[in-house]
Amino acid sequence: MGKRSGSKSKDKNKVILPPLLPPDVDDDDVHISDEDLDFYGGKKNFAARFHQFDQKVIDRYVGRTAGDEAEVERLYEEREKRKASRRPQEEDGDLEVDPVDALPVKTLQGELVYNRAKKARYEENTGSLKSKAQENGADAKQSMKKDELKGKSKSKKGDDKVKNTQSQIEAPKGKLHSDVLEEVKEELSAEELFEKKKAQLAELGMAMLEDPEANIRSLNDMLSISNDKDQKVVKLGLMSLLAVFKDIIPSYRIRQLTEKELAVEVSKEVKKTRYYEYTLIRCYKAYLQKLISLEKQSHFYPVAVRCMCALLDTAPHFNFRESLLASVVKNLNSSDDVVRKMCCETIKSIFINEGKHRGEATIEAVRLIADHVKLNDCQLHPDSIEVFLSLRFDEDIREDETEEQKMKPKKNKRWQNQEAPKQLPVSDKKKTRQELISKAREEVDADLRAVSFTLGPKERKSIQRETLSALFETYFRILKHTMSISNSRSKANIVSPGASHPLLAPCLEGLGKFSHLIDLDFMGELIACLKKLSGYSDRQDEIPHDNTLSVSERMQCCIVAFKVWRSNLEALNVDLQDFFVQLYNLILEYRPDRDRGEVLAEALKTLLWEGKQQDMLRAAAFIKRLATFALSFGSAEAIAALVTLKHLLQKNSKCRNMLENDSGGGSLSCLVAKYNPEAKDPYLSGALASVLWELSLLEKHYDISVSSMASNILSMASLNPTQNPVPILNVNPLEAYRDLSIERELSKPPSKALSLNIKKKRRGKEFVALSPDVLQKADCSVDKDELEEKLQSHFAVLRGISENERLRAELNHTLSSINMYKEYKKQKKKNLKLKIVKKKLARV
Amino acid sequence: MAKKLGKKARKFARKNLQSAAKRNRKIRNQINYRRPRRGGSAAREDGDEDVPQRVDDATMATNDATDALINGLEFSEDDAEIDAGLSDSDGYLSEDPGCPYYSDSEDGDTVKDCIMQDGLDRQNDDINIDIKKQKKKLKKLLDKDPEFANFLEKWQTELKNYRSKEDSDEDGMDSMDDDDVSNDGNSPNTKMLTSKTISEWCLLVSKEPKSPALRNLLNAFRDACQYGVHSDSPSMQRFQSTRVFYQIITFVLTESDNIFRALLEISDDANKGQIMNLRNSKKWQTVDPLLKSYLRNSLELLSQLTDNKILAFVLTRLRASAVLFSAYPSTSSRLLKILFRLWASGNQSLSLSAFLMIREVASLLPDSLGLCLTKAYNTYLAGTKLVNDRNTKHIDFLMNCLVELYSLDVQKSCERVVTSMVQLNSILRQASKTREKEDLRKIDNWQYINCVNLWVRFICCNYKDYNLNPLFSQVLQVIRGVAHLFPGSRYLPLRLKLAQMLNELSACSQMFFPIPSLLFDCLEIREVSQKEETQKTKVNFSSMLKVPKNLLKSRYFQEECVLSAIQVLSAHFAQWSYHVSFPEIATIPLMLLKRLHEQTTIEVLHRPIKRLIDQVNENKEFIERKREVVSFSPNDKASVDSFLQEEKNSGNASFKRFYSSIAENHQAKGKMVKPIPKTQHYRQLLISKGVTPLCGCREKNYQVLM
Repeated sequence: MGKRSGSKSKDKNKVILPPLLPPDVDDDDVHISDEDLDFYGGKKNFAARFHQFDQKVIDRYVGRTAGDEAEVERLYEEREKRKASRRPQEEDGDLEVDPVDALPVKTLQGELVYNRAKKARYEENTGSLKSKAQENGADAKQSMKKDELKGKSKSKKGDDKVKNTQSQIEAPKGKLHSDVLEEVKEELSAEELFEKKKAQLAELGMAMLEDPEANIRSLNDMLSISNDKDQKVVKLGLMSLLAVFKDIIPSYRIRQLTEKELAVEVSKEVKKTRYYEYTLIRCYKAYLQKLISLEKQSHFYPVAVRCMCALLDTAPHFNFRESLLASVVKNLNSSDDVVRKMCCETIKSIFINEGKHRGEATIEAVRLIADHVKLNDCQLHPDSIEVFLSLRFDEDIREDETEEQKMKPKKNKRWQNQEAPKQLPVSDKKKTRQELISKAREEVDADLRAVSFTLGPKERKSIQRETLSALFETYFRILKHTMSISNSRSKANIVSPGASHPLLAPCLEGLGKFSHLIDLDFMGELIACLKKLSGYSDRQDEIPHDNTLSVSERMQCCIVAFKVWRSNLEALNVDLQDFFVQLYNLILEYRPDRDRGEVLAEALKTLLWEGKQQDMLRAAAFIKRLATFALSFGSAEAIAALVTLKHLLQKNSKCRNMLENDSGGGSLSCLVAKYNPEAKDPYLSGALASVLWELSLLEKHYDISVSSMASNILSMASLNPTQNPVPILNVNPLEAYRDLSIERELSKPPSKALSLNIKKKRRGKEFVALSPDVLQKADCSVDKDELEEKLQSHFAVLRGISENERLRAELNHTLSSINMYKEYKKQKKKNLKLKIVKKKLARV
Repeated sequence: MAKKLGKKARKFARKNLQSAAKRNRKIRNQINYRRPRRGGSAAREDGDEDVPQRVDDATMATNDATDALINGLEFSEDDAEIDAGLSDSDGYLSEDPGCPYYSDSEDGDTVKDCIMQDGLDRQNDDINIDIKKQKKKLKKLLDKDPEFANFLEKWQTELKNYRSKEDSDEDGMDSMDDDDVSNDGNSPNTKMLTSKTISEWCLLVSKEPKSPALRNLLNAFRDACQYGVHSDSPSMQRFQSTRVFYQIITFVLTESDNIFRALLEISDDANKGQIMNLRNSKKWQTVDPLLKSYLRNSLELLSQLTDNKILAFVLTRLRASAVLFSAYPSTSSRLLKILFRLWASGNQSLSLSAFLMIREVASLLPDSLGLCLTKAYNTYLAGTKLVNDRNTKHIDFLMNCLVELYSLDVQKSCERVVTSMVQLNSILRQASKTREKEDLRKIDNWQYINCVNLWVRFICCNYKDYNLNPLFSQVLQVIRGVAHLFPGSRYLPLRLKLAQMLNELSACSQMFFPIPSLLFDCLEIREVSQKEETQKTKVNFSSMLKVPKNLLKSRYFQEECVLSAIQVLSAHFAQWSYHVSFPEIATIPLMLLKRLHEQTTIEVLHRPIKRLIDQVNENKEFIERKREVVSFSPNDKASVDSFLQEEKNSGNASFKRFYSSIAENHQAKGKMVKPIPKTQHYRQLLISKGVTPLCGCREKNYQVLM
């Protein structure tokens, strides 16, 4: 029984041993040996042949569950039945050379092994009739194969053990005795079984790829293998099935045959195809069911999701797409980063490659996500909404829609009014001919479409329209949800920003991106909503903290509002003034590293930089605030502010007065005579009365680009209002921000080796860093008496030590001398005895 | 639990056991010896890998793995100098027999009295009694059996043979040991030294440096220095009185410099070149052995002594003859090693005198400058691995010393600075690329931050005199990058430190740095945990980079936050308090301060915040008033620069006074020691003494500030 120590674990033992095994298993001598682990590691090479096998999955494989015997039995029975039915077929198949044999397997030792697996399988099948325990196979040829495997592991296992095994395996060659069989079964350790199944899977897979039509039934085998108790085998099975399906799934959707069709007698060819399709779809369904059920088990979860993603990616047109989509969409919210990323990629690729499925999958996916958002009350991972950003719409889809709606009634009328009389003169003959032609054309069109797999513009448009409405439904739902939350929150309850609205940021981003597609009817409401979200309130005294949205999110609201407004050709009659006020105050709330600087830069760009003509008072207020802002924030934020500031000055030449210090606060009188930096309303800040002194300090900024920008702006003062200074940095605020951000700077390759050109200039002896009062302490020399005392004590200690050493040595010496006396006595006695003996001897 | 206890116990030991300081020094010394020799920079990484580890083990300082993370920062050292010349003879000088030896009987009696009665002496007495007893016993035995005497004699000779064999075996291994007296060719004098003899010699030598008594005196000095090294050496016997010992050592140390200079006929400000020229002269030949003996034995003395005061004394004396070391490269490298050990030790006056000696050697012997720079840097890095409340001052001192040393020859040291900067930068880049914990930890530790701080100070000191712009921008990038990589209030201490560095840079370069952007987190209100902590954990930012999580909501942490922010912010304001745009600089911080003042629940903070607000407001109004009457515009650079220049130079602004009071307050609390407050102090000191300050960048520094 000691041989069994090689098996991986007792659970595994239970799995591999057929139910018939006598229950005399001694669990005590079961342990995981290092050799086994090595062996598994070493098999990587061997497995590399099956490119589709996921190495990671295998590696991740840890534990195994104990199998229930009933399941095993059922499996065996099934297999037996199936194999028995296939027997006659296989018998003649045995004669011809199996295509698989053409490809040899390279073993770990580097020798080529030609695959006799087909034969082996046949043999196995025959064996299965004899015994239920055929699973482990006792046939000669198979055992030969096993011998090879054994040989491979020989170096790792104890030699004696292997010899023992070999002799026991060779023994059953002659007589098929049940006792021997059992022993052999025990010999088959788990890894051998695993290897065998792997080989079997590979074989089946290769056969499938070779000739799918002929070998379609192997799918069943593969499916049953992936029902194995061994998790590793299951994973391998799933992956190989995936590879096979990816390859053999046709580019059309398989249709369920109607009763009528089934009733009709068909040719052999058609029958064969039908059978093929039927089997394929049945297996595919079973496979999907398996995936979906396995998805719930944590150790199969990544594999199952990966398989589904791959299937969806390659065959979004095929049957059962709906269930696949549902699973994948559900996993967009997965807590596992890898899985989520995978799902996102899949959905994105569906959105991008609409040609594969004619956009049907897109609309389904968008709808599913919308439902998902609704069900989860907007508490999802941001990634699940972010995928929308890869949606693509035709530019004209909204216009057409509106046009069509407008046109339709007209058309109809015209049709009724004009077409009717026109039709009259047409003769019947002509009519039929026309009909015929149009019919033929339609047919051709349909055929063409079916072949080329594209949609008509109308269909396409309607699908896109539906997608769009589902998309915006989701977006609006998120906005509404955010609103309701932020309204219900009490003032005291300040939550960390961003935590409660995971979906808001991608939602706003999406709204910004698709702003040109938003229906005009929603605009007013949307803008009002955004205004509220951006934290604007009519009461000016409110502290800005009661809004639960983060600064970045509020800025994003402003950006979206402007984008929406601008992309609708600014035809919208909404007052965006409030957003300016909001931004004016938000600028001060911005905190580097907490808020996203890019959002700030984008807000500056969208609201101020891209705007056409600005109100003078407002522009002045922003100019002043941006200049002040640049003094307190890092260089990247400062440059973004300065770029905007410069642009504002260029656009509003009257504001250039702020660059000059006219006594009396500028020539332009305004409502407020004195500048109030803390004003909440840009119109009431009185910025026009201020002077941009900040720029004179910004000229001393450590960052060269900031300081040069500041001096560039200052140079505008001397130019006349129509002139503009030589542009030094022709970028928008966002680009300017990105150029100077520290991340960008750090990601740049390090500057070439620093070369310092320093003139030789020897400094005198004066000190530069140490202050004299410190140096003074050094010179206060030690007091003479103290020194004497200290030196004396030093001496005394040294003397004491040496004296001690000396005395100890002496003491030791004396002591050992005394000890020697004993030895001396002993020796003396010995000598005495010796003498006596000698004397005696002499006497004799 | 056991681990925690152990840590605590070790901490206790470190703090309270006096022997710890000594041991640390010893260990440090050992490390210098143990440092694996490296072929080149390629092997450096793994070489350094284990060195800090060993330090950790040895000092048992910490289990924290972070400390060992930055190993790549150190410079590689050429250790070739270590064993060179160590096996030279120890310089016993053949004496002139003409010199008188006086025996004074009265000395012998006083010996016992002079020696202090310490534990060792009592033990010695006990042993003495024991010996007597045992000897008696032995004698009895011998009397009883006369034959035993023969046997014993035989055994003793055997033993001797065996021992000498063993000794010679050991000699083979201990060839490094240069104090092997028994192997010395000319047997040293064993005549007793008496007080009278020494006085006579001293007199002779002071009268005539060339007198043969010098040899005798130096020999006596040699024996004194090696006293106690070999307990069985005959030279031990020469000293019977502590007085003699003291006489010899003080006289030789105080006078030898003058004597040698007189002998060699060199002036006080001789440099290395002159010494080298002298080496071939005949004069040198006669003095050479004397000088060698003196220098070598002084070193011996340095390595023997343990008392800080005597060490400082010896160092000050030895400093006078630093130039003489140039003739003996091996000796000077040995000297440096001792010096660096002493420099890194915790005692202030000792490490100062050690440093002054290092600086002397480095400036007088250009060859050793490179070694000095490398060694000093590495010592600094090793010493700054741990920062706690007690050693912040010392680290600051070490940093200043290092800056001193590196400023001696900026051209030469810049290569090293650049190398170090490139290392720092690449660590930062790596961390910002991967954002992995391990990489981040390489930055978030004291070695890295202290290193950055060091170069910041170096740049500050030399910015005006040299063109250090590339270095400047590198340092800036590192500071910005570090601030960016560590957001959040946990890293506030780290960011405050960075802000201080920026303040320093700003003061020296007159550039504008937006300091407030680093301080916003300090000025925003956070939730204070409602439950009052029972134990008052003092939060001291000067000795931490990262705030422990449990303190984040504590009141003390927030207090410290705001107070430190006020300090840094007022330094920033103080620098620009006369600039025309001061009101605008203050706008945003002022708004935050006001909000903080309104909302904070911590009573202690109300007053300092209010004070800062008032001061800033006052200064703001002052500037606004002044600039209303001027007629120039912001683009008139010259006028902007000259704005309020007079007031600035008079150094009498209220805000300045406010700032210095804050800084002093802070210093009085024993918190951050910053260079800026120090200059304040410095200036006051100078003014009180009526001394015009030295020209240099320090001065500019405070001119800006005053």
